[in-house]
Amino acid sequence: MSDSLVSLVTALGDDELVLGHRHSEWTGFAPHIEEDVAFSSIAQDEIGHAAALYSLVAKVTGDSADRIALGRDKSDYRNAILCERDNGDWAFTLARHWLYDHADELRLEALEGSAHEELAALATKIRREERYHLLHADTWLKRIAQGPVEGRKRLADGVMKAFGPSLALFEPFELEDEAVKEGWLPLPSGELRDRFVRFASEQLDALGLPTDIARHAEEGAEFVASSSGDLIAGDGAEMAQGGDEDGTGGRRGRRTADFDALWEDMTAMYRTNPGATW
Amino acid sequence: MTYEEKLARFNAHIEAGGKVEAEDWMPDDYRNGVLKFIEMHANSEIMGAIPEREQVPRAPSLKRKMSLTAKVQDEVGHAQLLYRVAEDLGKSRDAMFSDLVNGKSKFHNVFHYPTKHWGDVAIIGWLIDGAALVTQAALLDSSYAPYTRVLKRICSEEQLHLRHGEDITLELSSGTESQRAMFQDALTRWWLPIIHFFGPRTNVEKDLLLRWKVKTRTNEDLRQEFLDRYVPKVLELGYRIPAPVPFHDEASGHWLIRDEDIDWAPLEAIKRNEGPETARRLGLRKTIYDTHRWVREALAEPAIHAA
Amino acid sequence: METWEVFRRHGHREPFEHCGTVTASGPDMALLTAKECFLRRREGEHLWVVRRSDIHSFQDESMLEVGNDKDYRFNSGYRDVVQKRERAKERAKELASK
Repeated sequence: MSDSLVSLVTALGDDELVLGHRHSEWTGFAPHIEEDVAFSSIAQDEIGHAAALYSLVAKVTGDSADRIALGRDKSDYRNAILCERDNGDWAFTLARHWLYDHADELRLEALEGSAHEELAALATKIRREERYHLLHADTWLKRIAQGPVEGRKRLADGVMKAFGPSLALFEPFELEDEAVKEGWLPLPSGELRDRFVRFASEQLDALGLPTDIARHAEEGAEFVASSSGDLIAGDGAEMAQGGDEDGTGGRRGRRTADFDALWEDMTAMYRTNPGATW
Repeated sequence: MTYEEKLARFNAHIEAGGKVEAEDWMPDDYRNGVLKFIEMHANSEIMGAIPEREQVPRAPSLKRKMSLTAKVQDEVGHAQLLYRVAEDLGKSRDAMFSDLVNGKSKFHNVFHYPTKHWGDVAIIGWLIDGAALVTQAALLDSSYAPYTRVLKRICSEEQLHLRHGEDITLELSSGTESQRAMFQDALTRWWLPIIHFFGPRTNVEKDLLLRWKVKTRTNEDLRQEFLDRYVPKVLELGYRIPAPVPFHDEASGHWLIRDEDIDWAPLEAIKRNEGPETARRLGLRKTIYDTHRWVREALAEPAIHAA
Repeated sequence: METWEVFRRHGHREPFEHCGTVTASGPDMALLTAKECFLRRREGEHLWVVRRSDIHSFQDESMLEVGNDKDYRFNSGYRDVVQKRERAKERAKELASK
């Protein structure tokens, strides 16, 4: 019964940790000094959310949040591939920030109804902080989308690259059927995905940002029908399925080359100094 | 009033400990001098963010991942505060960035060096921020009031950074042999640059900023304060300080360094923009600045819709 | 891009205080950045941003001087209260004994 809870919350933590790590790479390098300061807070928030989620798991399994964050093998992470992608340019970062935070909002809203009291309370707390993230993302998206042509074009490119992979945030978690049955996850990923697709395509269309939504809707129908929710222990060939750009497979443990470098940097100190405190 | 009369009155005002605001009349020497000084400080904060952010992805715990990001955020925040003061003196942010990346304006020597591992994070957070705090606390008395007002906040945040740096240092120092070795390795590499940070002996006669009371203390005075405060702390943790090696003078109670033990060549190289990381980091800043041109252009358009 | 003056209020005792400036393109961006630049350590629960061009001041601030002859506006104008209280008590005694 706790396995499905652990699987769910670990994956949620992985999304936050990996995306937070990416966001933190902008500190010192953002396009405008005042914005640099603002975006850095968003990065810290995401890492803080990961810490809280991992702590919840750690209580259940008798582990530590740091060990979960930094002590696992590459193949043990279950974040969506969207989160691990290199930052690219500011346009891609904004597109990902907007898509992720709105997807997360739908997910958190559902989790507030979780049968696991602590998870529900944590979802409420995280949602409060996320209000700023949403306002930030909405403000920037609108600004660039309604601004000079170069920015609009770059943003459109960013959205095209990020939209498909953002849908993969809603690939089923491992052991999801059980998680839904137990009430840890009140709404199945498929349903959250549908809500997200409707919301995102409406908002993006209104801003004149293309999402190639029809193509994604079709593909989506296919993978929902064929995914089992339980892990197929991955071998390389199977992991390579799904193609380079579509961002699918993260929930089943598929990782990309972008993740290799990230994982090396992020975990090296922890892994090479077992038992040390910092 | 003639220029000479205005200047005489300004000098008297400064002599008497008077303060200067952005809108006040100032002689050109004063305006240019204080602008260049603040610009260098702002540049140092934004360039200083580079070595530290290299270690952010490598932070060895979740707590440090957040706290180090926050620390670098603070440094960027300091740059923001200082660039605003400089802008209000009449130089645009664009012009300042341009001068920075073209090597025309300067930034502190310590930010021209590479960071290798977590030991560097400890040294930077403890000893370098400690050094900065000594110099910045002395500037709280500066004659240029807008500078002192932002310095108040900068100093209080640096105090926090110092605690953070000391916290990291103490964890390393009570840890594994490998962790202690990390700290020692970083100390061995950073000690000379930290001594250079205070600069060579102040030429009191020629130092305009000292005369205008923008600065209030000499370089050697500040360096001595740093040595007296930190050398005992480093030694009591059992580490070895490399050249220039400080020695304790029983008579005065001070921790002294022999002038002849200081190798000034690396600092001279940095002044020529030839530090180990100078070209790479300035190049990086320039690339980032150029890459973000489209964002600045998008933001320059007024918002079509209000908040 | 414009300069925005930032004000924050903390608790109920003190009014808004000026805490710095941000460069921003519009009130939306000014608020977003001012929040993290000036309120990330819980320095306030309320935030205002004002265009610098909307701030007004006297050209000649010496106009703001107040002469030394207005001690009635200050506590220092009433320091003789102790003597006056003694005199009034004595007067009361004087009249009571008549």
